[in-house]
Amino acid sequence: MNRRRFFRTAAGAGLALGANAIPLLTHAYAFSGQGGLSKVEARHYRKLPDREVECRLCPRNCKLGDKERGYCGVRENIEGTYYTLVYGKVCSLNADPIEKKPFFHFMPGTSALSLATAGCNVNCKFCQNWEISQVRPEQVRSFDLSPAEVIDLARRHNCPSVAYTYSEPVVFFEYMMDTAEAGRRQGLRNAVVTAGHINPEPLAELVKAVDAVKVDLKAFTQEFYTDQVRGSLAPVLEAIKAIHHSKAWLEIVYLVIPTLNDNLDDIRRMCRWIIKEIGPDVPLHFSRFHPMYLLKNLPPTPLATLEKAHAVALEEGLHFVYIGNIPGHQAENTYCPKCRNMVVRRVGYEVQKIEIRAGQCRFCSHPVPGIWT
Amino acid sequence: MLSSTVVSVHAGGVLSVDGSVDPGKIKAALAAGLKMISGQGSAEQSLKSLFSPRERVGIKINAIAGRKLATRPETSLALAQLLAESGLPSRNILIWDRTNRELKEAGYNLNLALEGPRVMGTDTNGFGYESELSSHRTIGSLFSTLLTRNTSASISLALLKDHGMAGVTAGMKNYYGAVHNPNKYHDSGCNPYIADLFDSSEIKTRHKLTVLDALLVQYHRGPSHHARWAERLETLLFSLDPVAADSAGWAIIERLRARAGLPSLKEDGREPAYLFTAERMGLGNARKENIRLVELEV
Repeated sequence: MNRRRFFRTAAGAGLALGANAIPLLTHAYAFSGQGGLSKVEARHYRKLPDREVECRLCPRNCKLGDKERGYCGVRENIEGTYYTLVYGKVCSLNADPIEKKPFFHFMPGTSALSLATAGCNVNCKFCQNWEISQVRPEQVRSFDLSPAEVIDLARRHNCPSVAYTYSEPVVFFEYMMDTAEAGRRQGLRNAVVTAGHINPEPLAELVKAVDAVKVDLKAFTQEFYTDQVRGSLAPVLEAIKAIHHSKAWLEIVYLVIPTLNDNLDDIRRMCRWIIKEIGPDVPLHFSRFHPMYLLKNLPPTPLATLEKAHAVALEEGLHFVYIGNIPGHQAENTYCPKCRNMVVRRVGYEVQKIEIRAGQCRFCSHPVPGIWT
Repeated sequence: MLSSTVVSVHAGGVLSVDGSVDPGKIKAALAAGLKMISGQGSAEQSLKSLFSPRERVGIKINAIAGRKLATRPETSLALAQLLAESGLPSRNILIWDRTNRELKEAGYNLNLALEGPRVMGTDTNGFGYESELSSHRTIGSLFSTLLTRNTSASISLALLKDHGMAGVTAGMKNYYGAVHNPNKYHDSGCNPYIADLFDSSEIKTRHKLTVLDALLVQYHRGPSHHARWAERLETLLFSLDPVAADSAGWAIIERLRARAGLPSLKEDGREPAYLFTAERMGLGNARKENIRLVELEV
């Protein structure tokens, strides 16, 4: 299939992506597909004796023999050299409202060219995109898209930013870095949606290349990370602190899952940690869970649970607390922490009004942190 | 639990100097082991007791590490030949693994035709993985349709190897090649994932026999091939108990490691604890005192 036909076919697939989303490729469900693999040497690994390598990209630090792949399934040791198999192998590409990520304090009302490759370095039982994140690259249809082509597509679709999202961008680190650096040179901004399961060294590089990072903080207990995520909480907390101390804008999302991570004491502890370590101005989104992947036995999060979590966060002193996946809820809006006037009105992914001028509340001139234009 | 029998057949000279396999000798070794494993008078009768003529038998091999360290095509084809000689239509025999590329790299000629033992990977057009997730214990995976839709009974014809994470990879772990996401089951020494995966109905209800290819055993730095730590053992192991087969394989790995002056897997922090998990789940015997080892020479 040539490129023109691929795009035409994908656009005709009609994915449900929200009111303003423009599907440019389609999620791939054909698991027997013969997806091409890249062979670009990976960054952040070290060579060991006997053709073994140790990946240093994420806290798993996978130690791999020849022909073995890491936990992510997209990085392979080939005769003692470590390669990314998904450089430029895009399996999902859309022009999304930036609010869908969600970013609420980063270029509101704009679209982000949003892309993903296959793979993920955790395995959340509630993954909303498991068809692309929990598979190997051979099992999805993907398309070659160079960093230059990504930038060109962003311009053609009026997207002032590129978002690395859907699966786990950490696993396509090299492609993300090259695209972000090239995009920035041409005036594009870059936003990352991640679980934050990344080692300090690659993260330090990443935050220099991108403008905003949204971290999915899955819970505030290691037990949850062990049982539901197959990952570790501590490195995620370290990543959040490091992002906060960088120049990149940070937002945090907490998907509230009934019975598993909706304990209000844990949520309160998390809020206190956020205030102590990174201050009250980081936006915190409590999102509604929908049954998915391996957690189909639980109901969607009751609205009352989300509102209780929201109230706890406000009580603890966080300034910008949101409720997500409940279109039309008043907690989708941004309120000035000083005068309490509404400064951004949102309904779902749509931004209806912005009352922020030069980073300040239009009513009282109190600073409202974020990247607003 | 009653004790389990593992039959070890040594076939001296089955490997030539260049590493190729003598087809006649490997078939003789297979026949000897199969005859002994079920106590029948012959390999043919033994296979008949395990598989009805209407069965569709999958032979799950391990081609992942390339030609130097894969289940040998000569071994797979000889087993398929013995199955056919026992009355199973050859079109009902399927030799398979994850991908056609890996099969070809391991020296297999693909056979997608309806006649003869078929040889193919899950990624063959028209096959692939199931679209519905199967969830069992810690496992959430899409199974190969070669297993779920094209076989009613399964033989794990696996390689015996040291494994950097699991300690030992053998017959049970061979079924990692039956799911779309084996990379997700390698942490914690693959424990309890190997046992949990084997316990899934897709595998447990089909698995009938383990045959371990221990012709060339990678006893250190596995699962990749390293000639320095690969021993030409020229042995096949057989068992109806999947846990006992792998446990007997583990003992071989330990023996070879000790002989080479290497630490035991336990000392190396890689004891295959999944075998004891499997035993606790009632999948078979892991402990040496419950395994009867029968050694043959052909």
